[in-house]
Amino acid sequence: MDTKTLLTEAKARFNHNSAKAQLKDKYDSKFIVADQNGLWRANLETINFLNSSKDKEVILIDNFNNPVKVDRKLLLTKLHDTYTIAMEEWYNEWTELETNR
Amino acid sequence: MSKGVLLFAFNSPKYNYYDMAVATAKRINHFLGLPVTLVTDEHSQPNNPTYQFDKIVIAKADKSNRRDWGIWINKGRYRAYELSPYDETILLDTDYMVNSDRLLKLFDMPTDFCCHDTTSFLMHPTAAQEMLSVYSFKTLWATVVMFKKTNRAKQIFECLEMVQNNFDHYANIHGFISSTFRNDYALTLATRIANGHTAPIEDVIPWNLVHVGKNTSVYKNTDTEFNTEYTVLFDNWTKGKIRKEYTTIKDTDFHVMNKDIFMELIA
Repeated sequence: MDTKTLLTEAKARFNHNSAKAQLKDKYDSKFIVADQNGLWRANLETINFLNSSKDKEVILIDNFNNPVKVDRKLLLTKLHDTYTIAMEEWYNEWTELETNR
Repeated sequence: MSKGVLLFAFNSPKYNYYDMAVATAKRINHFLGLPVTLVTDEHSQPNNPTYQFDKIVIAKADKSNRRDWGIWINKGRYRAYELSPYDETILLDTDYMVNSDRLLKLFDMPTDFCCHDTTSFLMHPTAAQEMLSVYSFKTLWATVVMFKKTNRAKQIFECLEMVQNNFDHYANIHGFISSTFRNDYALTLATRIANGHTAPIEDVIPWNLVHVGKNTSVYKNTDTEFNTEYTVLFDNWTKGKIRKEYTTIKDTDFHVMNKDIFMELIA
């Protein structure tokens, strides 16, 4: 029996909240970046801070609560790229999910 | 630096863990591009194997553990450090369904040992996190463990052996039932002991372990060998009635607790 028939016969309802929670779970890990001996999350706060600074090197607290001195531009590029790609994928899947409503 | 995955698979009277390991190894090769070493015993190996593992290590099966469905050969996981031929290893349960390259990130993490401390259940987002007991620690999960060949990682696995050998004693102290040995509980205690009774944040994989739990079934959406899209069906009990609910997932790794479901998925 294929899954479509199975769902029809079981009279199953699509659970939008579970799908949304699962998507968030899935994409949470895609924002994690290991770089320059630190573990980072590509979020707006970190990206904006790196973007606003003019220094070549900055010291940030990483996900492990360690202060890490990093090359600002290198980390900014990596976090920005990670953020953009992950958000794009998340948005596309979210849009697809919305059509299932 | 060599990298690879280590699987333990000892067949029980009810389940063919070797077959599960083969299916998981193929997915590891496909999605992660990593070699797989299998730890097994002579009785579990088929006469004409159809899949070539990177390496097979023969070990003695410890059949002293039982679950509700019968013999459960899960002891001896502490030997992973000694038996892994790789400098950097992901130790994986055979019933872990790899659907993405996410696990590769573990090698980039600035740590020599990590495992999950937080889980999420498909279709059950509010499920509570498991504790050893109400008086004890949040459970760490032995389903996915990344370790490098360092003294600290070695000490953690040595502690794991000690906890396994004295499981009743630790159960007594921490207030959990010892009749079934669980690697998750032993690992929770071993990492704490090896870290001076602390729980370093570096030991935790920074995303959730996704479980397929009770009342949940998973079906493949396609019959391709490396299918990554699934339909998850859940029996939601409300006011004494079952309401069937479903969702779809794709490119998401998950751990299947029900071995019968896992066998159907790899069939």
